[in-house]
Amino acid sequence: MPSIDDVTDTPDELSDDRADELLEEADLVQDMMGEVCPYPQVEAKKGLQGLESGDLLVQETDHVPCTENVPRAVGDDADAQVWRSGDAVYRIYLRKR
Amino acid sequence: MVATVLVAAVVGIAIGAFLQKGRFCFVNAFRDFFAYKDSRVTKGVLAATLLTMVFWGIAYQLGYYQGFWTPDWGLTGLLGGFVFGVGMTYAGGCASGTLYRAGEGYLQFWLTLLFMGVGYAGFTVAFPTLESTYFDALTVGTGATLFELTSVPGGLLALAVAVTAVLVYATLTGRASTAADFGERADAAQLDPSVLLAPAAGLRGFASGTVAYFRGLVRAWRDPIASSKRPWDPRTAALGITAAAVLWFSLVSIVGVTGPEARWTGYLLSQAGVDAESFDYWGSVLFQGQGVGVTVDMVMIAFVIVGAFLAALWSGDFSVRVPKRRRLPNAVVGGLMMGAGSRLAPGCNIGNIYSGIAELSIHSFIAAVGIVAGVYVMTHWIYRDVGCAI
Repeated sequence: MPSIDDVTDTPDELSDDRADELLEEADLVQDMMGEVCPYPQVEAKKGLQGLESGDLLVQETDHVPCTENVPRAVGDDADAQVWRSGDAVYRIYLRKR
Repeated sequence: MVATVLVAAVVGIAIGAFLQKGRFCFVNAFRDFFAYKDSRVTKGVLAATLLTMVFWGIAYQLGYYQGFWTPDWGLTGLLGGFVFGVGMTYAGGCASGTLYRAGEGYLQFWLTLLFMGVGYAGFTVAFPTLESTYFDALTVGTGATLFELTSVPGGLLALAVAVTAVLVYATLTGRASTAADFGERADAAQLDPSVLLAPAAGLRGFASGTVAYFRGLVRAWRDPIASSKRPWDPRTAALGITAAAVLWFSLVSIVGVTGPEARWTGYLLSQAGVDAESFDYWGSVLFQGQGVGVTVDMVMIAFVIVGAFLAALWSGDFSVRVPKRRRLPNAVVGGLMMGAGSRLAPGCNIGNIYSGIAELSIHSFIAAVGIVAGVYVMTHWIYRDVGCAI
């Protein structure tokens, strides 16, 4: 029986508590509120260039497509997770590989 | 009249909702493909265009249609399309994307719309000069669609073009996957095996991708309310937009965005006291001498914003978003370039890439090349610090 994850490759979603915990330990937080594509993608790539392997980059955004486009843009450079507030605010967590 | 307005409302709301749910963005489709080979939305755009082509071909063959949109073709499509493509990439939303994001509450895209209006008005003022210097000089032939040029039945012609497009797509994706399997040996071998295997491998990939998509769709139906709030696959949006476009084509016309928007600009200015009708472009071209008023396609376009608003509200994606100050040039310059470029081509991404290719219009093939070239150049400029994949 194939699972939903076989056909969609959206990033894993984080719970509210876990999202806040991870935000505390972030090495770089990028404020992308009010930004639209493709600038968050470009900034994420730039941000990761300056980080060490294992470091965490968090983007806070109110642009819906970013939750999918940013993880795809960084590709194999980082593992991505997403938190949805349910109120049109999203956080994208990128841990550099 | 009431019935036509009702159809406009239904079609507009449907298109707006499907655009919003599928994040059906033509900038995303080409920009992200060039920047990091993400073809998710590109597939949706291809599916929508080809499906619409087939159903419009059938509707044309059976006589259920109201007419094609076939501007004279020439270099105007290439130039105007290029300006439009650069503009939409810089603005971060195409003509349709700007509409649905306006509905999602982005103030930035309301500003983009405003400056598209400035672009339309500026073009209208310059039109008498442009007509003799730009359009006359660069136009090569009279507008036409392959549906009317050939004697092949419309449905069959559309199907043949769509099948050819799928085969080309399968060959390209198949070549990429078989080349990866064979590794460097494929380059060294006398007879490159990927040439023969590519279409088959690509079609297999296409078939399994389609099956997986429909399985996902069936699974989503088990919990329709929760599924309706999640983001949808762009291919679902493609199916929905096709259905709305077929209804619109059989009852009203092809789907366009910037033409009706340019009419809105003329209408709103006339309400503000400007004698819009005395300008050639509004009076005799856009409103065709029938007086400046609200036409049915203007109503439809307005309902696209309403549809996107309702879908965003339902999904928890609606919010009044205030742009960063440093993004204002994107809305101003991008909007101006889209407004002017869509008139210089003429036509936007919807008129030329989606509707135009679906109706097999010669002008739109040329303009689509111009738009995609514009996206390519602008994507490389925006990604200049981090680099593009293609």
